[in-house]
Amino acid sequence: MTKSIKDDILKAIREVPLISPSASQLLEISNDPDHGLVDLVNIVKHDAPLTAQLLRIVNSAAFSRRAEITSIDRALSLLGEDMVVGMVLADAASHLFDSSLEGYGGAKGDLWEHNLRSAVAAKKIAAYSKTRVNGDTSFTCGLLHDLGKAIISDYLKNTPAEIIPAIAQGKFNNYSAAEQEILGLDHAEVGLELARYWQLPEPLPSVIGYHHKPDQAPSEIKPLAYVVHLGDIIAMLSGGGTGSDNLFHGLVPEYVDYIDLNNDDLALVVIEVNEEFNRIRNSLGREGVEQ
Amino acid sequence: MANLVVGVGDFAVSNDPEDIIKTFALGSCVAIIFLHKTSRTVGMVHVALPESRIKPEKAVTMPGYFADTGIPAILKAMNAKGCVTGGNNMIIKLAGGASVMDTNNTFNIGKRNILSIKKILWSLGMGPTTEDLGGTFSRTVTVPVKTGKITLSCPGKKDWPL
Repeated sequence: MTKSIKDDILKAIREVPLISPSASQLLEISNDPDHGLVDLVNIVKHDAPLTAQLLRIVNSAAFSRRAEITSIDRALSLLGEDMVVGMVLADAASHLFDSSLEGYGGAKGDLWEHNLRSAVAAKKIAAYSKTRVNGDTSFTCGLLHDLGKAIISDYLKNTPAEIIPAIAQGKFNNYSAAEQEILGLDHAEVGLELARYWQLPEPLPSVIGYHHKPDQAPSEIKPLAYVVHLGDIIAMLSGGGTGSDNLFHGLVPEYVDYIDLNNDDLALVVIEVNEEFNRIRNSLGREGVEQ
Repeated sequence: MANLVVGVGDFAVSNDPEDIIKTFALGSCVAIIFLHKTSRTVGMVHVALPESRIKPEKAVTMPGYFADTGIPAILKAMNAKGCVTGGNNMIIKLAGGASVMDTNNTFNIGKRNILSIKKILWSLGMGPTTEDLGGTFSRTVTVPVKTGKITLSCPGKKDWPL
């Protein structure tokens, strides 16, 4: 039974549309620690619809410029890399981000908002890493980390009412364990498979796969896996979850070996994440209730 | 009728029986709901953090963000609506303060929010009559001003009263 569901899910991954060449290149460049804004400009200016979209956003009311911006170089430097990567990914995977997550009792837009909030939080947390972690890569991993939920949601319909009491009774340690039991794999593994199918560069697929178990990640990506793990946790605590699984995930306590974050730091990060999340969301025209 | 949505660090006060006050998806944040019996006024503040000393300039623009500035701010707003806050004329209820599954209790913002809110209320001679706090699930809070009956909701769970 479970094997058959697992096979169906793996097949469903292979039926997801591929992301555009521009999006794929942008993720690859953004993941390169030596990249500069000029590298992003070179990709964007060869993609006419993307150029038009960026210029529309930078000239929108959210930025309230006196003079119209017509140069893509200027637009990118004003928007900043996070906004550009966020916009490109939101567009490239809109069919997944706009999923209503019925299997989690979520609503349309929840997945996008949770991933964006996690991305912003991961980038902030990267600054507290004991070893250097690339903030841009942290942001991109955050944006992608829960996409697997969009694929398995349909297979989890009507399950939250059973899963939540089962966790309370100690039958499952967390929500991912329940997904494993019901489907034979969890949302992080599905996200990993999807990222590999899209041929995203490492470490993106692996970090997606280990975002709930950074302690088990290969040593070379462990610091980044912990950064994204904490970004996800902060997004959940801020109320920006994806439905019934919110907060039913564990904080891996060994994060203290990788991230130097005291209570005051955490409080400041919470404030900054809320402010930055609202700024990006409102600028991208996906405005909602501030949470 | 107006839906008054209370965002993070925001607060709302109403004595219009047609209004509904609501705050979405409290995680570690805590909603403090004040029900003033004689004037039938309802106030709600959505507190995100315990202490304003962490970022005093934020407390100036958004006092509701912190327990130590949010409670005085909403009480002042309720006083301005004619609520006399002394005696037993005020019912106070709390919801939220959840956490993730954290065995070492290191990310305990929810617990610190709860403690800070209770200390401040006690220092003012007040205290919650009812509370629905902690746990590992989010809470959306809805209060119609007309009845003052509070409903909590969470994805995957049936709605329940506070």
